[in-house]
Amino acid sequence: MAKKLGVYICGGCGISDALDVDKLCGVATKEFKVENCKSHPFLCGEEGAKLIAQDIQEGTNTAVIAACSPRAKMDVFNYGPSVYVERVSLREQVAWVHPPKDEDTQMLAEDYLRMGLARAQKAEPPEPFSETIDKTILVVGGGIAGMTSALEAAKAGYNVCLVEKEPSLGGWIAKLRKQYPKHPPYRELEDTGIDACIKELEGNSKIKVFTGAEIEKIEGAPGMYNVSLRQKGAATSLKIGSIVQATGFKPYDPGKLEYLGYGKYKDVITNVQMEEMAQKGKITRPSDGQEVSSVAFIQCAGQRDPAHLAYCSAFCCMTSLKQALYVTGQNPDAQVYIFYKDMRTPGQYEDFYKRVQEEPGVFLAKGDVKGISEEGGKVTVEVYDVLLGENIAVNVDLVVLAAGIVSNSMPEVAPKVEAVTPDGEKKVTEIVSDSGRYATPALHLQYRQGPEIPTLKYGFPDSHFICFPYETRRTGIYAAGCVRQPEDIAASMDDAAGAALKAIQCVEQTARGQAVHPRTWDKSYPSLFMQRCTQCKRCTEECPFGMYNEDDKFNPLPNPTRCRRCGICMGSCPERIISFKDYSVDIISSMLKVIQVPEPDEEKPRVVAFLCENDAYPALDMAGINRITYNPFIRVIPVRCLGSVNIVWIADSLSKGIDGILMIGCKHGDDYQCHFVKGSELASTRMGKVQETLQRLVLESERIRVEEISISEFKKIPQIFDEFMEKIKSVGPNPYKEM
Amino acid sequence: MSPAVPDKETVDIIREMGGGTLKICYQCGTCTGTCPWNLVRTFLPRRMMHRAQLGLIDFGDKDIWTCATCGACAVRCPRGVEMIDVIRAMRKVIAEMGVAKVPDSLRVSVKNISYVGNPQGEPEKERGSWAQDLGVKPFAPGTELLYYTCCIPAFDAKVRRIARATVGILNKVGIDYGVLGAKERCCGESVRKSGNETIFQELAKGNIQAFAESGVKRVVVNSPHCYHTFKKEYPELGAEFEVIHLSQLLDQLIREGKLKFSKEIKKKVIYHDPCYLGRHNEIYDEPRRVLQAIPGVQLMEFQSSRKSSVCCGGGGGRVWMETPKEERFCDLRLKEAIDAGADVLAVACPYCMLMFDDSLLSIGKESTIEIKDISELVLEAL
Ligand SMILES: Cc1cc2nc3c(=O)[nH]c(=O)nc-3n(C[C@H](O)[C@H](O)[C@H](O)COP(=O)(O)OP(=O)(O)OC[C@H]3O[C@@H](n4cnc5c(N)ncnc54)[C@H](O)[C@@H]3O)c2cc1C
Ligand code: SF4
Ligand code: SF4
Ligand code: SF4
Ligand code: SF4
Repeated sequence: MAKKLGVYICGGCGISDALDVDKLCGVATKEFKVENCKSHPFLCGEEGAKLIAQDIQEGTNTAVIAACSPRAKMDVFNYGPSVYVERVSLREQVAWVHPPKDEDTQMLAEDYLRMGLARAQKAEPPEPFSETIDKTILVVGGGIAGMTSALEAAKAGYNVCLVEKEPSLGGWIAKLRKQYPKHPPYRELEDTGIDACIKELEGNSKIKVFTGAEIEKIEGAPGMYNVSLRQKGAATSLKIGSIVQATGFKPYDPGKLEYLGYGKYKDVITNVQMEEMAQKGKITRPSDGQEVSSVAFIQCAGQRDPAHLAYCSAFCCMTSLKQALYVTGQNPDAQVYIFYKDMRTPGQYEDFYKRVQEEPGVFLAKGDVKGISEEGGKVTVEVYDVLLGENIAVNVDLVVLAAGIVSNSMPEVAPKVEAVTPDGEKKVTEIVSDSGRYATPALHLQYRQGPEIPTLKYGFPDSHFICFPYETRRTGIYAAGCVRQPEDIAASMDDAAGAALKAIQCVEQTARGQAVHPRTWDKSYPSLFMQRCTQCKRCTEECPFGMYNEDDKFNPLPNPTRCRRCGICMGSCPERIISFKDYSVDIISSMLKVIQVPEPDEEKPRVVAFLCENDAYPALDMAGINRITYNPFIRVIPVRCLGSVNIVWIADSLSKGIDGILMIGCKHGDDYQCHFVKGSELASTRMGKVQETLQRLVLESERIRVEEISISEFKKIPQIFDEFMEKIKSVGPNPYKEM
Repeated sequence: MSPAVPDKETVDIIREMGGGTLKICYQCGTCTGTCPWNLVRTFLPRRMMHRAQLGLIDFGDKDIWTCATCGACAVRCPRGVEMIDVIRAMRKVIAEMGVAKVPDSLRVSVKNISYVGNPQGEPEKERGSWAQDLGVKPFAPGTELLYYTCCIPAFDAKVRRIARATVGILNKVGIDYGVLGAKERCCGESVRKSGNETIFQELAKGNIQAFAESGVKRVVVNSPHCYHTFKKEYPELGAEFEVIHLSQLLDQLIREGKLKFSKEIKKKVIYHDPCYLGRHNEIYDEPRRVLQAIPGVQLMEFQSSRKSSVCCGGGGGRVWMETPKEERFCDLRLKEAIDAGADVLAVACPYCMLMFDDSLLSIGKESTIEIKDISELVLEAL
């Protein structure tokens, strides 16, 4: 459709005090030959809004609104899906942070208007990706987390298929005699409630349970998964919208706990064996079958020890306290010792801890185990009691190792790949956890990036730790329960409800043709101009979410409902063929092209700053709201993710005479904050390479800088700007200016 | 050294002796961080609790006698461990079961109390002599109020001034009161805290009987220790009388307009909260109100006051035990008062007076500050 542009400049909120609005209009009408440019002292007011609405009624389909930040008044300046609105932030980024009626301030505003116009000329309102979708939710794993997810989703009105590989439901909780208290006053053990839960599940007509079943293959994408299932030999296939993975945990291999006497002495067992015994009835000594009258629990049996499990397993402290009561319940005169590194009993569980301490026969001591030996039919545990500063020793019938857990995603041994190098050598490489090929097979996804969800260091699924805990690196697949992190029944149930909600959000958003998360409103999606694709595999490899599959000729095959709309593939593509309707390499390049670069002798350097829309750009708005002033030579361009910055933009900027390029995104690394997981990391790797190239071209590498901040650090932005400008001043003008 | 072996029997005994809350200590160390002893020497109640939890208490350890039962730790303990009960239980094991030696000076004082009803070992019949020249009438049935005189003011030549000031006020106000003299014995509070439960019980029962026989309904006391045991421990043994601390009575009289000041005391007065009046019984405001009501008095506060007040070191039987000169934390308190520029350190407890008097002598600052009971100040201003 032919573009009919309208430009609307607001003079309110101090804008007309700071800027010459008429001159600004001139940029639109004279430079860009826009016929319709209007200004109004109060554009978001009733009269101003009417002004725009009137034009739109008369055929204007693209509105450039030069007023406040695009993050403000979104409801006011919204004209429906068919009108493209471009917002130029004259308020937060110009009027509020630069001296009024100043030459540089005016130049900045004019550049921003040019950039907005350039963008508006090329961008189109996105059209949603639409397909018929299925909203059934698949839950993999029938432990407490899986069962809870299934029930929650069904209660919210969704059909659910629950797949459990064992013949019966329940997972670990089916093996517990009792659970530690979940209700006030947190003093007495409770039944696990597993039977009632299974009954409710089986009685719910929206839930279809497949026990003794495993997934063979999952093809497709959110909203249109084809799941192939094998149940007792028979194959079934299901149409699925989204998935909750609740495949649970396995205990840490006790064979590795020989240093604590496991395997050496019969009467040294694990907490899992203790639970089994308790469930069967009597707690006895494996060596002679006698009932126990004294037991020592050793906490953190391998946990929080880098040589074994570096992390805390969350429920083993509470579990030992519970099991101590099994012992004193069986024999009130029994003596129970609990040796701990720290007792971790969060929240109200403290009350239960206290209750167990009150038990006359229970003794606790913080210490390090110094030795375990067997003598005269008893096991002696010697402990350095750190609070006493002395060694103590107990002689007991039974030792229980409170061992930890490992996510079921964690493979027994890291998988390896064999490859033949160009010179014919065979090379075996271990697959790293940060890969879809690492985790223990469970989902069998037919994704180019591998059949399972990428995991972190210890085999738990990768997710944005703080903001989006349930989202895995595969859109539409949500992890819950102990597969995601060590947690107890109550926490697993919370998790399960959260993951179910996420799965619901996924099918609903997908049905609307919108991104699921985190750009929930976004209807745009990448399209590829395949004629120019060189099959370089950059997009298929670098998409953090495995959106692209590949055909045999290595052509990328997009699955738009898997996409999070980060634009990382767009940043990766050397051929610049990946575009969104409203965000493309070409659109940003044209914005760069219209920036006016003064002659070097004017001593007005120009810097382009790409700011991530998730944290850095809102932080810039906050700096504006707080009226924190900064250098006026910087031109800010918001980007969906630093990972979406295409190297071409750097080249375009430099060849045009821009003196420096700044990129501000979220933190990367182990504790990354990047909303798109890999974006900021990729950006810094790519820029590292660009810097090398610059050096080869005898251009100073300092002209490019990547910085990381979080939204709350808005006060740092002006600082970063000013420091960078200092650097650019010392490096001198871009030599390409004169060419 | 061979490792120590936890002993459940010892724990059970401590529990039976009343130290049951030791089980719930989770070793946070707040008590050690709070205990005033650590201002002057190392004393680790946390570790003592843990030893006791494991039954690894060495009953010969002198530190069992160190605690002044000030309660600073107990009000802060996040677990609600009653350290004082635990320590009392351990002392009980020693004193009553004879598993170790009781410190000599304590043993003598307790023996005196058990024989003659006062720690000083003075003849019982002399208990009322302090009042001889003051026209105090013996308590007779129908008398409204009993003034129960703590052993310290009754027999200690220096602290006697508290008792004399008290009756001076009561006489001026014209309250119907009397004293029991030789009929009353030590209240037994510190006897109990030092583990001598049997003697305490005898003392308490004796006093209860004496009070009942004389028809006592209401008692006023100077000592927060007497107040504490009368209020919180005697009722379990059958006591039915009401007890009031002198500061409460004075506050009440001032508010009712029955006590009027005619003189000014133009002095800076700093008030020290006695542990047993403050932390143990939460009486913080009455003594302050009384002092503030005295014309001319400028009331000052310690850095640590009210709930955080620092003990004088005299509770829990410590008043009868020897404390090395460099380990007296009331010296620190006194120095703080002097540094703050106070003219008078006001107390509301005979133990505090005894301890601070001693401190004043030992640090040699008699000319800079006076130690006075609130009763003395009130009487001066009447
Ligand atoms: C000894 C012991 C005592 C405990 N005591 C308590 C307690 O008292 N209170 C408390 O709150 N917590 C307790 N816990 C913790 C509790 O067991 C866990 O929090 C809970 O079981 C986690 O549930 P889940 O559903 O995440 O995992 P799981 O129980 O492991 O369930 C996972 C399910 O997924 C299935 N599955 C795995 N892989 C696949 C696959 N590929 N396809 C299909 N299905 C698959 C498994 O068969 C299993 O049924 C205890 C744990 C232990 C070890
Ligand atoms: S819950 Fe307790 S025993 Fe388990 S790993 Fe954590 S600290 Fe160790
Ligand atoms: S990189 Fe981002 S925009 Fe590109 S396909 Fe993947 S999720 Fe979508
Ligand atoms: S404050 Fe209480 S819980 Fe903490 S160490 Fe002392 S007694 Fe134990
Ligand atoms: S009662 Fe006072 S003296 Fe005794 S341990 Fe507690 S803080 Fe220390």
